Amino acid sequence: MEVLQVVSAGIGTTLLITIGGFALGAIFAVPLLMLRRSAYRPVQWIAVAIVEVIRSVPPIVWLFVIYYIIGVDVIRLDTFQAAILGFGIISAAYISEIYRAAIEAVPRGQWEAADALGLERYSLYRRVILPQSLLLTIPPAATFFIGLLKDSAVASVIGAADVTFLSLQTARNSGEGLTVFIVAAAIYLVLSVPIAAIARGSAAFIERKLAIA
Amino acid sequence: MKPTPDVQRTKTATDPDTLLELEKICISYHNKQVVHDVSLKVKRGEVVALIGPSGAGKSSLLRTVNYLEKPSSGTIRMGDRVISAEARPTRKDLIDLRREVGMVFQGFNLFPHLSALENVMLAQVHSLGRKKEEARERAYKELKHVGLEDYGDRNPSNCSGGQQQRIAIARALAMDPQLMLFDEPTSALDPELGVEVLNTMRRLAKEGMTMLVVTHEMHFAEEVADRVVFMAQGRVVEEGDARSLIREPQHPRTQQFLHAVQDR
Repeated sequence: MEVLQVVSAGIGTTLLITIGGFALGAIFAVPLLMLRRSAYRPVQWIAVAIVEVIRSVPPIVWLFVIYYIIGVDVIRLDTFQAAILGFGIISAAYISEIYRAAIEAVPRGQWEAADALGLERYSLYRRVILPQSLLLTIPPAATFFIGLLKDSAVASVIGAADVTFLSLQTARNSGEGLTVFIVAAAIYLVLSVPIAAIARGSAAFIERKLAIA
Repeated sequence: MKPTPDVQRTKTATDPDTLLELEKICISYHNKQVVHDVSLKVKRGEVVALIGPSGAGKSSLLRTVNYLEKPSSGTIRMGDRVISAEARPTRKDLIDLRREVGMVFQGFNLFPHLSALENVMLAQVHSLGRKKEEARERAYKELKHVGLEDYGDRNPSNCSGGQQQRIAIARALAMDPQLMLFDEPTSALDPELGVEVLNTMRRLAKEGMTMLVVTHEMHFAEEVADRVVFMAQGRVVEEGDARSLIREPQHPRTQQFLHAVQDR
């Protein structure tokens, strides 16, 4: 019980890093998406390059780079800020691909109908494409969020007092490694399940909402 | 077969009765040419049916009228507007053109996240800039026009295919188009539901709407169209008065096609 109390004190940090990183990524992903969908090939390549570089460097390396290099020499970032920024950058790459897939999943007929009605580009996206693709982003975004929740454990290496960090500490001090990490696993599980449920529920909702007889 | 009026083509002033004039349209996909040098005129108030085997280029030709398909060369005249493939039209040019041309697709393409009424309202507000109230009233009127005044609140997914297609017609009509394009509007429907759509189109024709229709419904073409254009392999093979072309086709390819279709 005592273990649970100590370890669960990290839930707030785990959630804040995850939610903060995700939110930042969801915002950074927008300009990245716009580059990726540009009419000009070289501009698209820039976006592809950014996404590939971000995705191929492991999260732990990103956090070290941001915390120890940028965070110390350029602007002062505390552990928490560095973790959110790091996960924000990583998320941006993945979320921009989620956005892109969702936009491209809107059937061609929808684009054509909107074009045939003489909609300007802004209205076409705002009124026809985005309302449909936003729904389509929910399941993959929820799945990504769960992945991020677990990846956020990496933030413990730069000293963020999250569930994993507190578990490591407790295990080291008490020698009760097994109990501690079972508790930690249970906490991650309990946090993930509702999000998985949202993903599943939304998938069914979308099917109903966007289904055409 | 009509003699091609090559002499007239060099003149810029078109006859005021002509609403749409396609001049020497060529269309290619991946270096394969699917429409060869086709010219076509549609007069105001006229109903023209485009018929022919699949792959003849009928839909491609129809879709160049509002530039959903980009021709590799040729000119589109719509009223006073001239759009030429060689002159690289801007998006603004295309939007202006599209606001005058209504289009009905084979697959309906209603917006699934909006109700029937909202489908008909959307472009009135966001393309023509009408006030919401005005657009709502007009949408209601157009739904009534196609016999669906009680369906405004329904989602497209709760409507039959025939109803969806009629909502799509209402959506196009609400824009006050000068010309309506129909791209095989009944091909995705079972025959019974197709009839609802054909009846709506019949009514539009009677009301004097100018229509260009790609169709496989020969009875409809004969009865409703003023003129029929038969295309095969990307070319116009024969065109003429609807009744005489369908009853007494002159060209062997047309005869072959009509026999095959009518023997079914």
